[in-house]
This record gives sequence, structure tokens and C-alpha cells, in this order.
Amino acid sequence: MPNNAQLETFTAGVETAVDVAQIERQLHELWQLAAESQKDPSQRQITRACLFNFIVFCETDGESEHASEVISTLTSHHPCRAIVLVAKPDVASGELSASISAHCHLAGTGQKQVCCEQIAIHASGPGVAHLGAAVLPLLESDLPTVIWWQGDFLKRLDLFRRLVAVADRVIYDTSAWTDPQSQLAALVRRITEHPRCSFVDLSWTRLGLWRRLAAEFFDEPNCRTELARIRTVDIVHGHGPGASLRALLYGCWIAAQLNWPVAEARKKIHLSAREDRDATSVGILSIAIKTDDATFSIRKNFGERTASATIDMPNACGLPRTRAFWPADDTSLLSQELDRVARHTVYEKALAVAVAVLENISR
Amino acid sequence: MQTALPTNPLQEGLSARRAPEPCALVIFGATGDLTHRKLVPALYNLAHEGQLPQSFAIVGFARRPKTHDQFRAELRDAVAQFSRFQPTNPAVWDALAQATFYHQSEFADALGYQKLKTFLQELDVKRGTAGNRLFYLATAPTEFIGIIEHLGANGLVHSEQAPIASRRIIVEKPFGRSLPTAEELNHALAGAFDERQIFRIDHYLGKETVQNIVALRFANEIFEPLWNQKYVDHIQITVAESLGVEGRGGYYDGSGALRDMVQNHMMQLLSLVAMEPPTTLDGAAIHDEKVKVLRAIRPMTAEQVQQFTLRGQYARGSMAGQAVPAYREEKNVAPGSRTETFVALKLFIENWRWFGVPFYLRHGKRLPKGVAEIAIQFKAPPAVLFAAESPAPLQPNVLVLRIQPDEGIAIRMNAKVPGNELNLQPVKMDFRYGGSFGARSPEAYERLLHDAILGDSTLFTRRDEVERSWQIADAIIEGWNAGPAPSPYESGTWGPPEADRFIERDGREWRRP
Repeated sequence: MPNNAQLETFTAGVETAVDVAQIERQLHELWQLAAESQKDPSQRQITRACLFNFIVFCETDGESEHASEVISTLTSHHPCRAIVLVAKPDVASGELSASISAHCHLAGTGQKQVCCEQIAIHASGPGVAHLGAAVLPLLESDLPTVIWWQGDFLKRLDLFRRLVAVADRVIYDTSAWTDPQSQLAALVRRITEHPRCSFVDLSWTRLGLWRRLAAEFFDEPNCRTELARIRTVDIVHGHGPGASLRALLYGCWIAAQLNWPVAEARKKIHLSAREDRDATSVGILSIAIKTDDATFSIRKNFGERTASATIDMPNACGLPRTRAFWPADDTSLLSQELDRVARHTVYEKALAVAVAVLENISR
Repeated sequence: MQTALPTNPLQEGLSARRAPEPCALVIFGATGDLTHRKLVPALYNLAHEGQLPQSFAIVGFARRPKTHDQFRAELRDAVAQFSRFQPTNPAVWDALAQATFYHQSEFADALGYQKLKTFLQELDVKRGTAGNRLFYLATAPTEFIGIIEHLGANGLVHSEQAPIASRRIIVEKPFGRSLPTAEELNHALAGAFDERQIFRIDHYLGKETVQNIVALRFANEIFEPLWNQKYVDHIQITVAESLGVEGRGGYYDGSGALRDMVQNHMMQLLSLVAMEPPTTLDGAAIHDEKVKVLRAIRPMTAEQVQQFTLRGQYARGSMAGQAVPAYREEKNVAPGSRTETFVALKLFIENWRWFGVPFYLRHGKRLPKGVAEIAIQFKAPPAVLFAAESPAPLQPNVLVLRIQPDEGIAIRMNAKVPGNELNLQPVKMDFRYGGSFGARSPEAYERLLHDAILGDSTLFTRRDEVERSWQIADAIIEGWNAGPAPSPYESGTWGPPEADRFIERDGREWRRP
């Protein structure tokens, strides 16, 4: 049975090594001790909260440290049981080791702490093969399971398939993939293989404001008529990570939502790359949707985390609008996605069109 | 000629939050406490979250001479003090300040309204507010009818250019002080506005936990089958305040606890907790169900008022270690005042679902702590099984919806104490919003202002709800007028001793929240 000092260490966020087979028992005893200490008014009031299982896949110590930082912030609004998997298949030792810690946040009036537990499992060499089996008994029952896969899951298909079988959602970031465009077809196949699981690309999440600004052009009925008259969609993007794929997905999103055949999408969507010197850019620099009589433009404001939308059209509907981008760090993007409950069907449609367009080009 | 698609396909998958239309918000009583403490901080919070229309303007309408910049500076201070986003984001504030204007006029001066109309038309051009107006009555209630009539008479409500729904009015509480005065106010509103344009505010309905009553009841299959006279013993709705009248003695002495809290907020809580499932979640369907509950509340004769209600008035006492004065010693309160600061009611809803189930409503000032909750107490389980082993009677299950503070839901149930003996003990399962979702609930006024800008009246009260609530309250007040003065209670206690007897004679007891 742990003592108060161990409870203090645990709730202070310090990792404590624990036998993999004893993780659940150790956590249970720590929370039981925390519950008993509530009877002493001089002790801090601690509540454990958990709304979902959050499996985070890492392959380096850097990713693992980053994951812990993200989880620490994320749990203030999204309490969960975080299970951080650190897989190093190239290290020969073949170990499977674990540690536990907690992330605590003051809640409400600041008198009570709400805590979430983090379990870290490190696997190396042949031990990586045991990760899937180690995770499954640690999942809290009756709660959704979300996987945040740092890196390219297509390279770890065995483990990915095992985990995705119990997941409700997989979050990944194709910006971090090497040559993601060449892997889009494989990604679509994985999505199709797992219809029960929702696939979320943080690269797509970054397009949120761009999509919203474009959509708002057509809220007014007299502007909406222009949707049927679009001649070109010109998208200028930078060379940063994931920028060209984001630009492609953006154009294919419009094509998919307007039911353009692939050939029409190919003809109307124009992508061009430009040097991007803007430190605050997420990759897309400007968009122009042109019809016979109107141009709907969005441009990233240089040096600012904002974009401005303007309409050039007789009897224009709406004034120029400027909107701020949502922060594009992993914590903010994940937080946005964890607020959503619905499947990203729009993303999946855009992705399917992107695959078709790329195939059309290669033919 | 191309025709527009019925919906915008590019909006699919984006947040379901509707984009608010361009709008000019005119606040009458713009230099008052409500504007500074609640309205402008709420507007800033909405701007901070990008939920205000792109083309938006705030026009403060008040008597005191002031420049636009003076008004903006005062509001900036208010935002710095009362916004939930701290510190103030200069970019967000600057954008809001540029959209903020001041219009000086007496409320009874027709010329002031004509100038307002011209000014708003100028804003339509400069700020793109498109002829849409939202008027907010944040003045003393005595000014309401005059302002409404001036708005109508000076062409501010109807516009040849804009459709009828783009002119809306929010009316702050109190909405009348009796059925006749509420009817008079409704009559004045109906003379200038269509019912769809009228938003009667009850800020309790903007609270997340109150909105969650509908979600809890109708999104969870386990509760609704038990939510009736077969399983529920009684329901207690408590809104306790630790504060006294806090400088509002003049207003409060002419109003009292029943008018100030029960007729509006507590009746809304009661109707939400007791209503039948609405056919949809739109405003009209929910209003229809709520008003059915209010209509089903058993009317009271003068004699029944003495039996089913109780009122009290706080005397001197002690709060948080400090001596506090009696109500009658408060500023602007008549020394011989008979105004109640505590009220307890027992109401019956005469429909199939609630027949015979008492609803105990309790509200008071200077009670030990500030708390608002709805407690559904279920019938006690049959005692036969555990009677021999556990001599104390089994505690009935209680489901508590905590509205403030520590918003959440708790269930009390019986569990076996670990050990060789079969001892039972009540335990509490406690769900807290703050713990599960983090502290990100918007303020009630944010939600309500946003909904009014969107034209969604779901969280506002409808004419028939207000008038029926007043009908119930008036009957009680009439009964009280013929009865004894309110019973005194020591500040810092849970009301007069009679309050305990009031419920104990039914074999029940008040919860200690």
C-alpha cells in the first residue's frame, strides 16, 4: 500500500516506476489513499476525473516529453486516462517498463484539485510487439478511446491495427509524414478498413478558419448562387511541412462539397507554391474563388495570425472580414478535436477526391 | 438565372453554431450597473470567442452627457474588472471599442429617439449593421413602457427595408410586479413588437446547468421512467443566498422574495424539471411544455396560502464571523416592513405525471450559504429486507441537480459498509462539471445575448409563461396580505423555525445543501 509521500509524488506529476503487471493495482491504491485523505480537512481535496482513454504513440524521447507537456495542459479541459506508449524497435534491449504520474489542476473555486493519471509504457526491441497486449487491460471500460499517433502510423501497421480495433478516434498529423501525398491512397484504405473509428488529421484541423471564411461567403442566398458558377479556385501555398497537401485538400474539399467530377476538379483547382517567409503561417497564403462576375478572396495577413476575406462582386454581400486563426500548436488542435464528437465525413470526402485527383494526374 | 442552393454545402461539418446576422445593439440604461457588470463583459467575452457578428455596433443610450470615448473608457474598465477572460486582450477590446458609441437622451424625449434612428441608419452604412436592431431594456422597470412606446412611435421597430424579425427587444427583469402590471407591459410590447421579436430575460435560463436539465432528462434513458409520481416522493427546489439586499433595499422592499426570485427563476426551474418531453428542442416546443406545467399548478385559496406557504424576514445575525443588520435596519427599507426575505412553498402539479407529489420551493436571503439546487427525492425502498440487520430506516435515493456553486449532479444511494456485518450507509456519487469539462462555461448573459442576436428565444420566457407565473404569485401575495407578518429568522440560519415545521408536518425534512 503506498504512503502519503508517494501520493504527494504522484499528484505532483513526478513519474514513479511501476511493474507493468501492477499498474492498475498501484493506481487503485493511490486513488484509494487520496480518497481516505479527504477525511482530513488539512489535506488537499483531490478528485480523479476521466472522460476518455487517451493513447499517445511516440517513437522518441523527444516525442514522449512533448506528449507529457501536451497531456498536462490538455487534461485541464479534457480529463482522461493518458497512456503514453514509447516504442523504440531499433533498441536491442527488449524491455517493457512502465511509470505512472498524475496531472492535477485546480478546479472551480480553486479549493479542489482535479487529477488525471498518466501511464507511460516504454518498449524497446522485441518488447514493442507486446505493447498492444499491455495497453488493452489498461483501458477504462465504457469510455471512448482516442489515439494520438505522433508520426506515420502506416509504418507501424501491426500495432496500429491492434490499437485501432479498440479506438473510437485516431488523431494524426500528416504534416509530420514524409511525402504524405504518396500515402493518401493507403490512408484512405486504412480509413475504409475501420468504419467504426473516426480518423482526424490535424493538418485538416489547421484548415478550419480557411474553410469557415470560404463557407461564410456563401451564407447569403445571392452569393450562394455563385457556387454553381465557380470557374477556378486558385490556392497559393508555401513550402512548409504539409502545406502542399493542405492546399490540395482545401481545393478538393470545395470540389467534394459541390459534387464536382474529378475531371472538373482537376480543371478548376489551381495550386501554386510560393516562398513563405511568414513565421506565423500554417502554409496557405491566399485563396481566390472566381466566377464570371465575382471573386471571393481570402489572404493570410503577413506577420499576423489573421486572415482577411473580401468579395469583389456587384451588389456585394458583406463587408471585408478579418478573423484570427486558432493557435496551431498540438495542444490547441487536439483540444479542438476533442471538443468534436462527430465523424469527419467532410474530411473523408475531400480526401477521397484528393486521391482521385492524384490518380488522374499520374495517369 | 441561377437559383441559390437551399443550404450552403460549404458549411457542412463546420461548427453548428450559426453565424449571427449583422446587428446594432442599443442598450437603454447604458451607464447602469447591469451594463457594466454583466452586459458589456458578456459582449467582450463573445467578441473574444469570435461569436459576435462581423458587422456589429453597440449604442449606449442614457441620460448622462458623455462622449463616445468617455463611454468606451468606462466600459474598458468594466471589462477589465468583470470579464472572465483576463487580462483584457487589447486587439479584441480595440475592435469592440471601435464598434461602441454613446447616445445621450432622456428616455421620455421623442427627439432623442429620432436622433437615435438617424444615428443607427448612419451605422448601417459605416458599420454594415444592415438595418438590424436589438434593443436592450436595462433601465429601471418604470421606464420600460415609455421606451417601448417611443421605439414604436419613432419608427425604430418597423423598417420598410428590413424584415420584421430583424428588430428585436430584450426586456430585463422584473417583468412587472403583478399580473396586471405584467399584462400592461406585455400589452405595450405587443403594440410595438411581434411576440417573435420579444426576448424576456431570465438569466437563470442562461446557466449551463439549467440547460442541462433538459439534457439529463431526455438524453438519458435511465431517469425518465422514474420521473413521475410512482417513484418520486417529493421535489425540493432551493435557491439560497447568503447576501442581504446589498444596497437594493428600496427596490427589494417593494418587491420581496416571491416576486424577486420565485415568480420568475424558481418557476422556470420547476417547469423545466416537471415538463413533458417536448416534440423538438426549438423554443416554441419547449415553451409549450413549460406553460402546461404552470397551468397545471393547483391554484390556492386564501386559506390554502396560509397552509401551503410560509414567509420570513431576516433579523440580525452573524455571517462569516461578522454581525449583520436585520432587514428592517437596511438602507431604504421601511422600519416596519412586512416584505418577505424568505419564502417556502408547497405546490402540486395536477397532471398524471405529478399527481400527489409535493414540490417544495425555498428561497431566502441571509441564509448560511449561497446555493441553488433541485433535489428529486425518490420514495423509500420497502424496509422488509434489511429491517432486521439495519435498525435505522433506509435513506431514500436522492438525485440532486446543483445549479450553483460547483455545478453538477449527485446521486445518493445505499451501499453496504465493508465488513462482516450487513450495515448499510448512504453514499454519494458526485459529478461536477468543473471536474469533468474544465471551467469553460460561458456566463449566462453571454449565451442569452448571443441567442437574442441569433433570434433564438428558447432560453427566454414567453408571454403566457410570465402571465401564468404572475397569476400563481398574485394569489399567494393576496393570501399573505390577509395573514400575519413574515416570521423573523436569525441571519445565517436556514430560515424561521416555522420552516422546519412547515415540511416536518408532511413527514419530510429540508435538505441541508
